[in-house]
Amino acid sequence: MKKGWRKNITWAGTWFPLALLAVFLTACEKDITVDLPQVPEQLVVEGTIEPGKPPFVILTRTQPFFSPTNLNALTNMFVGGATVTVTTNDETWVLDQLCSNLLDSASVVLAAEATGLSPSLLAMADICIYTSLNPAHVGVAGRTYRLDISAEGKTLTATSSIPHPVPLDSVWFKLAQVTPGDDSLGFAWARLSDPDTMGNGYRWAAQRINRRANGERKDPYYISPLGSTNNDKYFNGLTIDFSMIRGSLFYGGNLEDNNAERGFFKAGDTIAVKALSIGQKEYEFYRSYEDNVGSIGDIFSTPANAKSNITGGLGIWAGRGVYLDTIICVP
Amino acid sequence: MARHWLIIFFLAALGFQVRAQSHFSISGYVTDSATGEALIGASVFIQEIGKGVPTNTYGYYSASLPQGRYTLVVRYMGYADLIRAVNLDQDRKLNLKLSSTAVVMQAVEVTGERSKSQVESTDMGRMDLDVQKLQTLPALMGEVDILKTLQYLPGVQSNGEGNSGFYVRGGGPDQNLILLDGATVYNASHLFGFFSVFNADAVKDIELIKGGMPAQYGGRSSSVLDITMKEGNNKQLHGQGGIGLISSRLTLEGPIINEKSSFIVSARRTYIDVLVKPFVNPESRFAGSGYYFYDINAKANYRLSDKDRFFISGYFGRDVFNLNGNQPGSPNFKIPWGNATVTGRWNHVFGPKLFLNTTAVASDYKFSFGGGQDQFGFSLRSGIRDYGLKVDLNHYPDIRHNVRYGAQYTYHIYTPSTVEVNSGDVDFNIDTPSKLRAHEAGLYVQDDFDITDQLRLNAGLRFSWFAHIGPYREYITDAQGNTTGTFEHGSGKSIAQYNGLEPRASMRYTLNKNNSIKASFNRNLQYVHLASFSSIGLPTDTWIPSGKNVKPQEAIQYAAGWFRDLKQRTYEASIEVYYKDMANQIEFAEGMSPQDGGNANYDFGLVYGKGWSYGAELFIKRRYGKLTGWVGYTWSKTERKFPDINNGEAFPSRWDRRHDVNLVAGYELNDRWTLGGTFVYSTGQATTLPVQRYFIEGRLVSQFTARNAFRMAAFHRLDLSATLKNKATRTITDKGTGETSTVERKYRSSWTFSIYNVYNRYNPYFIYFAQESTTGLEGLQLSAKQVSLFGILPSVTWNFEF
Repeated sequence: MKKGWRKNITWAGTWFPLALLAVFLTACEKDITVDLPQVPEQLVVEGTIEPGKPPFVILTRTQPFFSPTNLNALTNMFVGGATVTVTTNDETWVLDQLCSNLLDSASVVLAAEATGLSPSLLAMADICIYTSLNPAHVGVAGRTYRLDISAEGKTLTATSSIPHPVPLDSVWFKLAQVTPGDDSLGFAWARLSDPDTMGNGYRWAAQRINRRANGERKDPYYISPLGSTNNDKYFNGLTIDFSMIRGSLFYGGNLEDNNAERGFFKAGDTIAVKALSIGQKEYEFYRSYEDNVGSIGDIFSTPANAKSNITGGLGIWAGRGVYLDTIICVP
Repeated sequence: MARHWLIIFFLAALGFQVRAQSHFSISGYVTDSATGEALIGASVFIQEIGKGVPTNTYGYYSASLPQGRYTLVVRYMGYADLIRAVNLDQDRKLNLKLSSTAVVMQAVEVTGERSKSQVESTDMGRMDLDVQKLQTLPALMGEVDILKTLQYLPGVQSNGEGNSGFYVRGGGPDQNLILLDGATVYNASHLFGFFSVFNADAVKDIELIKGGMPAQYGGRSSSVLDITMKEGNNKQLHGQGGIGLISSRLTLEGPIINEKSSFIVSARRTYIDVLVKPFVNPESRFAGSGYYFYDINAKANYRLSDKDRFFISGYFGRDVFNLNGNQPGSPNFKIPWGNATVTGRWNHVFGPKLFLNTTAVASDYKFSFGGGQDQFGFSLRSGIRDYGLKVDLNHYPDIRHNVRYGAQYTYHIYTPSTVEVNSGDVDFNIDTPSKLRAHEAGLYVQDDFDITDQLRLNAGLRFSWFAHIGPYREYITDAQGNTTGTFEHGSGKSIAQYNGLEPRASMRYTLNKNNSIKASFNRNLQYVHLASFSSIGLPTDTWIPSGKNVKPQEAIQYAAGWFRDLKQRTYEASIEVYYKDMANQIEFAEGMSPQDGGNANYDFGLVYGKGWSYGAELFIKRRYGKLTGWVGYTWSKTERKFPDINNGEAFPSRWDRRHDVNLVAGYELNDRWTLGGTFVYSTGQATTLPVQRYFIEGRLVSQFTARNAFRMAAFHRLDLSATLKNKATRTITDKGTGETSTVERKYRSSWTFSIYNVYNRYNPYFIYFAQESTTGLEGLQLSAKQVSLFGILPSVTWNFEF
């Protein structure tokens, strides 16, 4: 009897690891189809105004979650023919609609940054954006701007101010030492002295402006990685150092976004840093937007919509104070 | 409302006074003859008058009867009936010892009547689980789990695959009062809910009350799970243990002083970390990461005399989860959490009619989370600690009444989520929030009495009081929610106070010997709340008190049922219907995340609403025979309505299941093999999915509409087990005389083989929408994915006893 038991225990001993392995392998995932109800479409604003720059507004519409994602379907989400005005100091600017054939290359880059479509495809697609060609119609820090949109029978309004920019004390590159001895990959670092008033919101954007072999810039535009929005709730009046990972083109085809370099800057890169100062409502939008985007597939999060500051629609109208700096990545 | 109840009490009290005086009492303890363990809920039936009294939690019974000769029949599930003749010409003390049928050699005379049935009692929605039988039922990874077995009962919903969290009749997970020897257990789960903290080896009795909660229980609005630990064998040293796939356990029990004092110690630990370690590449990303839990139960008792008994018991358990992200930039975490409880009890018998139990408890739940990423350090702590004292009196004025009254007091100390963040040498200025302190007290009286032979009423009234007291730093905020200043409340100063009456009543009307109908009503107030960010019950959830803005939760439940015994109580069947109204329910506002709560009051970001639940529960149980088990079916609907969630529209709660079917069966094939099987089916869980999409900065944003508007696929699963044990007895042949005799085996062991999810169904755990593209937004692929946790999962456990 005893001998039999011992044999059984040995048997169990042999199978323990395999059984355990089985436990961890059984969690599985499969594709299913879900019937989603049809709900009325809404208009989505992505508008910014920065000091010295004209207002820039893209108007799109929501689409059913599983509607097609080919270029044609994506360009269909852009809304043209809207009346868009920006009002400040009792002065109303009627924005000009610029459609693909009229877009200059700078506007194409801005449109690409906002839409995520590649500039080359965007140049071919038939879309419209709203901006002002009048050189006097540019943002001034400290002023408040009201946005009014009338399109497809809907009326949208929003108000935002451009905060005075908070400069970064310094910016630098530091190796991350992922593997000991690695001397090329690292993060961007910055020192920020927060003013002694509560309610400063911050957003980080960066662009690698050094060029690839084919002559293109490594990043076509400024990218804000997820987690780049913050406010001074917990560091009001303090001087802090923080690091930022490299943002990827979200659905990008860059080689370095799909290998071990993902998220890292590299020795030899030149990084254009754009530190944005934003208000409370704008902070809330970008923060909840990043949570929404980042929580896809995360069971630990409760679903929540991005907190828009647009009345009558979705999205954001953001005045943004801008501080620019450059990092040359040397280990 | 309350006035009516007072009148009933008054009448009840009058009832005691008008009876004749030539009565005597018979009282004592009912225990297991082999181990000395007190038997809870055994029936002491007096044949001449056709009435019985149950033993209380300590095995004590008392019956007051007119002078005369009586026959007592003592019955308890799994034990042979004991029949004793008594000449009651004076107050008598009679301790009764029952023998387990498992060890009875001789044929036992089995009376026609069997143990007390549901038909007789006034209890509604009360369920007892037989701990012995649990071991032969199939279990996930072979780990016998009390809480998961509860989920097989009608009216109890599980919190998802493999999860030990449970919801009773539409109530939330924080609305279950979980007591271990009278001490509140705040987080009853290990490992994100896959295992409960209760080690079945140390448990004697499990009782779940989902309906008519008696007045002696308070502080929670949904249910009571009252778990009593074993006292320990007071005759000889015994051991019990098991070796399973992921954990091992060992229990020792025995006398300290023979028949007077005994102890029990039970411990278990998981060893996934130890077993996995050799297989993890030390260079790998998460080398050095690990998870394990352990827990220890201990109890000792001392019988000073037949009048006085002392008990001390404790529980200590910890989960430890380490995550080493060895890449710079990836996070490191260390997350220990766990419960500790200590209970001291003193039983005193004042006279044959009055039994006193005094309980002093301390309970502690702690969670801490230490993490780092590069030069950032991060720590989060939370917890709750209770100190309490309870005095409960059982009064048996005559055979028709069983009166209880008592008082309870608890001092709560809450540590709300406390966050510290530093970047290099700079500490972020996040205030350490003040601990929250509160008094909670309750007074109750209840009587379980026969109004007529057909009508029995259990009426009770509870008065509860709660105060949130200083020291407390209150943040003053402006209209935008920004903190503009603070106000310091002094030590002991009351910040908010609440009190209320909680009437409880249940009644039984006997239609005939085998049929009764019952109805119950209760109002419950709950002064502590669980603020939960996730929907799956994480250890990060924090307990908070009622206060200035957080009102006590309130639940009112109405229930009615029909109970029937069949085939000489071999079967019992019941149908219960209930309606429950819940007020002042709490949730976090949409889009709140844990990091938003710093430098603000503990109730920051909470929103308040109401809920309701109604349903019908069918239950058929076979209690005796080779085949035992039950079938349960529940139809129910549970909704919540919050002005600030889902645009103020009512939405199904996460644990709303329209249909719920449970089947539990055990079959004794022969004296060595026992087979077990369970089957569950329930309507898919409600979940929230995005309906539309849009793009900002080139990223897909999900637009959600209605909360919990979607149903996952239905959940169903079959589990089977087989237990092989060696025979309880062996035959010895006397070499001299050649006579054979049967003796009980000292060492016994068994193998339990179980298969979880026999037909390998991938039940949905959660659904998410995935997006993939490597060729830019133009090439975006969207798909809906369903994640399942466990496919077919065989396991084996070896158990032993000596």
